[in-house]
Amino acid sequence: MAAVRSRRDQAGTPGASRGQDAGRSQRASRSGGRGASARAPGGRTASSRGLGWFIAAGVAISAVFVLPLVWEIFRSLEPESAVASAPSGQSFSHLTFANYQTLLSGQDDIIRNVVNSLVVAVLAAVLTSLVAVLAGYGFALFRFRGSGLAFGLVLLAFMIPFQAVLTPLFLELHFLHLLNSLLGLALFNTTFNLPIGVYVMRNSFLQVPRELVDAARVDGASVPTTLLSVLRPLVLPGIATTALYAFLFSWTEFLGALSFLTNDDLFTLPVALSNVETGTYGAVNYGLLLAGAVIAMIPCVIVYVALQRYYVRGLVSGALKG
Amino acid sequence: MTVAEPAQRRLPGLARLRSGGRDGRPSTAQGRRDTRTGLALVAPALLFVGVFALFPLGFGVYISLTNWPLVGPYQLIGLANYYALLHDSVFLQSILFTLKYTGIVTIPIFVVGYALAVFVRANRPGSTVFRTMIFLPYIVGLVTESYMAVVELQPTSGTVNYVLSKLGLVSDTTAWLVHTGLAMTAISILVVWFYSGFAMMLLMAGMQGIPQEIYESARVDGASWWAAERRLTVPLLRRWIALSLIISVVGSFLAFNQFFIMTDGGPGTSTVTVVMSIYDTAFAQMDVGLASAMSVVLVIVVGLITFVQFRFLQRDGD
Repeated sequence: MAAVRSRRDQAGTPGASRGQDAGRSQRASRSGGRGASARAPGGRTASSRGLGWFIAAGVAISAVFVLPLVWEIFRSLEPESAVASAPSGQSFSHLTFANYQTLLSGQDDIIRNVVNSLVVAVLAAVLTSLVAVLAGYGFALFRFRGSGLAFGLVLLAFMIPFQAVLTPLFLELHFLHLLNSLLGLALFNTTFNLPIGVYVMRNSFLQVPRELVDAARVDGASVPTTLLSVLRPLVLPGIATTALYAFLFSWTEFLGALSFLTNDDLFTLPVALSNVETGTYGAVNYGLLLAGAVIAMIPCVIVYVALQRYYVRGLVSGALKG
Repeated sequence: MTVAEPAQRRLPGLARLRSGGRDGRPSTAQGRRDTRTGLALVAPALLFVGVFALFPLGFGVYISLTNWPLVGPYQLIGLANYYALLHDSVFLQSILFTLKYTGIVTIPIFVVGYALAVFVRANRPGSTVFRTMIFLPYIVGLVTESYMAVVELQPTSGTVNYVLSKLGLVSDTTAWLVHTGLAMTAISILVVWFYSGFAMMLLMAGMQGIPQEIYESARVDGASWWAAERRLTVPLLRRWIALSLIISVVGSFLAFNQFFIMTDGGPGTSTVTVVMSIYDTAFAQMDVGLASAMSVVLVIVVGLITFVQFRFLQRDGD
């Protein structure tokens, strides 16, 4: 690493963290002028023919990753009988929302499961952001005894796989009357998103010019005032990253929800789909399963595509920790 | 820091306040206030981590020394659960199976992720869109995709058999999820598809941190693209490679969702993973003590994997 660092210094990157680098190139690529940054690490300037090949290959590779998901959207619009029998040429001549209608109406509708998932994911996103903002502020801008130890303890939780504390956590939640509770599940999701959240927020606050904080202090601004009016706009991207992570984690989380919820009415969407899969509500219906999976997929895609620059930023910033 | 100096000169008091806090010895009133405020700010985070992560870890070790049933009284039984594990064939088999699964998917994930990173790392027109597309399966999540795969892997009705039988590769009636080998193949391909976008993002971030000047001087020296990649990129990327391997190996070792959804451990118990074994022992057999002993073993194994890989890849990195 020493080699990398000194090389970077020679290259004159002014004290920027690598997280910033990636963020910057991310931005550069969006405004991506052809001439401006069309240089590969290999150093070759892309000729227009090279660019044509690059785009053709890129489209082909992207198709491998995206087409299966798009295909499942089409499949979920087939009538159940078509999903359950041999595919044929006429499969797509009768597209219908029947699977969705069945899934979203009647006695065992999954609307409540979608709502449960939303409640847990939003609650976890809000709690994680709130706690991580406070902790990030404390770790970045206050020097106090035990600060290093406390930071180490928070990061230690990163090393503990939640799968490995499942059973003791189950008993603990039981004692705390948080079993079979959406709040309990949200608290669980919050905890295991905190290490990355605190890390991202601490980095955000460290990038705030120190004299701004000192000026606020000299002006007699209280800690909450400083946080809410002076610093908030500067660390909003970090908050977006933290909230996005917690939301996506909670929305797709399965094992915790499966273990800590036993009441059908409280199931989150991924757990409810396992009932659809095994046909708890009657015969196994693959049309319904696909429609449910597509419903689970859509919010992820929308949230991610809208906020992806925050996601990538967090990925890099979190990974730096090593 | 240089920017801050004029302010300090104008306000001599400020410098004193800040140096009071810096060495961690709160010698001034401001310093003491800093300690109080700082601790108050980080307390909620410590509370969460302490209550829902660190405490359960210690509690788990304690439970593993008891015969704790899910309901009812319990007593301390020493290391009996750990001795029982040595003869628990399903658990031992699940360790072997999980190691085998980890061994199968790790290299493909890394190789595909690395190749994709090389492909998208330069900021050329379209590369941001390609990154987004390739990363999408990771965002959607393995749970959702496992449900989709269950439908598409059905004999006679699934898309997989339809396509593969048209190509003459398999029979239309191949039942992927009820044969150990076929299920393992299908799940491994699904996981590599799901996960390589994540490996790509990590490795790409590392590659973008390498200054261009190194490559330019290598080119001047007449190094081929391949030589530059092998002699420059890979060594400079060591830390990122270690990180991406650790995350992927640990993630594979903790596999649960895809197996629970697609095979439920079957046929028989041939595709039971370690985490599934713990889940089953705790919630189906209701033997929380034994399940906790398994969890302790899991924590140790995961810690060892991380440590060994880190040492191995960091050996001459620093």
